[in-house]
Amino acid sequence: MAELTLTALGKRFDSHVALADVSATFHDGEFVALLGPSGCGKTTLLRLLAGFEAPTEGEIAVDGALVASARTGKLLPPEERNMGIVFQSYALWPHMSVARNVAYPLEVRGFSRAERRTRVAAALEMTGLTDYADRMPAALSGGQRQRVALARSLVADPSAVLLDEPLANLDLSLRATMQEAFAAFHERTGATMVYVTHDQTEAMAMADRVAVMDGGRIRQFATPEVLYSEPADAFVAGFVGDGAVVPVEPCGPAGEGGARVRLLGQEVSARARVAGPDRLCIRPEDITLGEEGALRAEVRQCTYLGGRFRLRLVAEGGLDLVAFSTARVRQGVSLGLTIGQPWGFAAEAAHG
Amino acid sequence: MSQSLARNWGGSRSDDWLLSALMGLAILLTLAPVARLLIEGVSGPDGLTLAPLVEVLARPTTQAALWHSIFTAGVGTVLSMLLGGAFAFLVALTDIRAKGALVFCLMIPMMIPPQITALAWTQVMGPSSVLLKTIGLAPPLGSPQPLHSPLGIAVLLGIQHTSIVFLTLRAGLRAIPPEAVEAARIAGARGLRLWWQVVLPLSVPSLAAGTAMAFVTALGNFGIPAMLGIPAGYSTLPTLIYQRLAGMGTSVLTEVAVLALLIGVVALAGVVLNRLFLRRRAYGLIGLANRPLEISLKQLRLPVELVLWLVILAILVLPLLALAATSLVPAYGVPLSWQTMSFGGWYEALFRQPVTARAFRNSFLLATGAAVVLMAICLPLAWIMLRRPSRLSRTFDLLVDLPYALPGVVLAIACILLFINLPLTDLTLYGTIWIIFIAYIARFFTVMLRPVQSALAQLDPAMEEAAQSAGASLGKRLRTIILPLTAPAAAAGAILVFLTAFNELTVSALLWSSGTETLGVVIFNLEDSGETVMASAVSVAVVGVVIVLMGAIQLASRRLPKGVVPWQN
Repeated sequence: MAELTLTALGKRFDSHVALADVSATFHDGEFVALLGPSGCGKTTLLRLLAGFEAPTEGEIAVDGALVASARTGKLLPPEERNMGIVFQSYALWPHMSVARNVAYPLEVRGFSRAERRTRVAAALEMTGLTDYADRMPAALSGGQRQRVALARSLVADPSAVLLDEPLANLDLSLRATMQEAFAAFHERTGATMVYVTHDQTEAMAMADRVAVMDGGRIRQFATPEVLYSEPADAFVAGFVGDGAVVPVEPCGPAGEGGARVRLLGQEVSARARVAGPDRLCIRPEDITLGEEGALRAEVRQCTYLGGRFRLRLVAEGGLDLVAFSTARVRQGVSLGLTIGQPWGFAAEAAHG
Repeated sequence: MSQSLARNWGGSRSDDWLLSALMGLAILLTLAPVARLLIEGVSGPDGLTLAPLVEVLARPTTQAALWHSIFTAGVGTVLSMLLGGAFAFLVALTDIRAKGALVFCLMIPMMIPPQITALAWTQVMGPSSVLLKTIGLAPPLGSPQPLHSPLGIAVLLGIQHTSIVFLTLRAGLRAIPPEAVEAARIAGARGLRLWWQVVLPLSVPSLAAGTAMAFVTALGNFGIPAMLGIPAGYSTLPTLIYQRLAGMGTSVLTEVAVLALLIGVVALAGVVLNRLFLRRRAYGLIGLANRPLEISLKQLRLPVELVLWLVILAILVLPLLALAATSLVPAYGVPLSWQTMSFGGWYEALFRQPVTARAFRNSFLLATGAAVVLMAICLPLAWIMLRRPSRLSRTFDLLVDLPYALPGVVLAIACILLFINLPLTDLTLYGTIWIIFIAYIARFFTVMLRPVQSALAQLDPAMEEAAQSAGASLGKRLRTIILPLTAPAAAAGAILVFLTAFNELTVSALLWSSGTETLGVVIFNLEDSGETVMASAVSVAVVGVVIVLMGAIQLASRRLPKGVVPWQN
């Protein structure tokens, strides 16, 4: 397992910029999710890591050794990168049995027959496929195919395992099971894993750190908790987690890591890392509902989430907010709000 | 250069070298003879000139032959497309029974050399038909032979090349994931709508490829228009070339080269049209085609089966019966009965003439060699052409049909021109078996390349990328992933090459010498010297051998990887 370092990485297809100025380090043994809407460049980044595409700018290093560089033109082909990959379509070879599919990377690397058998048995055991070793891929269900692809990607101790939306083709309950399986698998193997997805729940549930991507750039690269509580910009705040982003007027600093802002005429204290935040990310947890309150909002929609209700509120000036409630509230009821410690940031945030 | 290539493809330098060498070899084998011919067509005594070109093209005979060629090949191709297409759709998509037997039978017309097809059919219909005489239905002597007509030629060309459309289309249909069809049925599509809106659009690439190949093959066919057209005074381009050569000898080489180029241009136009037509119609197929489709025909099944078998009876059993009948009479024209039946022709042809055994051996070695060598070349070549396209490979793609489209006699002349004196040496290939072998490689290149290309184009690229990430080098990927997954197409191609080469006549007719006779030459020589009975006997023997070989492949199919035998379900 290894550390992956991306430096000022960029990829152009003719005039289309798929990826621009991406710099990041994926640590040894880390589970990294690349999260973003379709067309954000996450799959391009994965294919650059795998070696299927050559960068047009910047470089990629594995454990400090350069594998691709636009400057020198160096490009280690995929077959020499020692990466494991799981495709959305699984890409199992239909003419080989499950065991043979899994054994293939070992076969290619010239492992002895005995060694191969031990490792394949271990990989099948770990993915719960021992009983299916002699089946052909066509005779497997979606989840089983997925697990074969996973076993195949890991069997040869790759530097990193790259996963391209591996759960997109699975049903919801299977997806939950596979998420647990992936997480457990990651824990057991300590593999560096790079996981591409457009599903924020999936990314937040599994990854150590999530890189939120949009327009070919990484907007924020942080742990799920930080992404949720301290989004770098409006895109991240909107894409990750529930809640609302509202414009505010800065009124001045309030101690270390804090700021005073004016929201609908009321002064509110917020957490912030910039001096004068002009946007607030208000998560549902930041709002306390009551009969009284200087801030008033009307309930537009009430959805039961199991154990609590999600309220869509509209405040004065047409401001959309989201809050949780323990009891059902009828549509059109006016409530008072108290806002505690939302996250403030600047609209024109510098991306890094 | 190699730096930028390596960046684009992620390949290593040694791979690049091998690939370039392979591309070069393919171009040398297929296009060099054609280029040599082209030079001949535009050269006069004083260097390059367009004078012979203009002169030959202006002749009414040339224009008539050109029109005749386009008409007969065109109508024939439509027939091939209808017959082969109908069989392929019904066999690949529905629940009709005895599919294996149907496919097996449909393969056979291709194995019969065209002139024998023509001979067999004139035996079915003409006033001197042994078969008709035997059952007392022969028309009176002197009544016209209905097949000696443009339509007769077109129909036989169509029947001859039905299997080409059938095999190519069926391979394409097998690659369609059943989910695509099932999804449409769930959406409410049924019957013809299902076929028209889902199956047909997905199979258009393979149908078009098969049709283009059938057209090109029909265009270069010599045996059928020679047997049926010459008596009727109806010349196509190949028979015009043959007549000019037979009448005037080598003094008309330049004129013949021009005529050959004309056929090449028509074939190329067909291929380009096909390419333009397909430009927006090639879809990537997603998913595993793991289960064969079996749409129930319900009460229509029996009538459909009856019709299919009646067609087989008409295009296969009848002419073969006529051929067998002719091979069993003591002299041509005698009706066949228990009294007149004789194995004299068989005995004489197979055991008294040493040349027959020699020809069997030669043809077998040539056909096997061509199939094996072409498989080894075309698989990596198709991969390069798809994954690493260059201007060179695209040009090659466009021109590779030429040696196949040219009439065999012309390719033979091109090969003689090229190999009679090997450059920089005193050696000659003329008179050895190698010149026939090289001519076969050139001629059947496209027969092998096209099915492999089409199978490769339909492969999910992730299959290969997964192997690449697993650490497999290009060679290893080709061997362990690409080869097995394109094996059905490659095997279908190899079988086509073997069968066509085994019965081939028109190329070897000019290239053989004593000791290097092929089966086609032996049959032709026998027939040419009036020994129709012996020619029929050898033909029946050849068909018998081929059927036995196919049966052996069928029996071995359990031990072969799934899908290698093209006619197996």
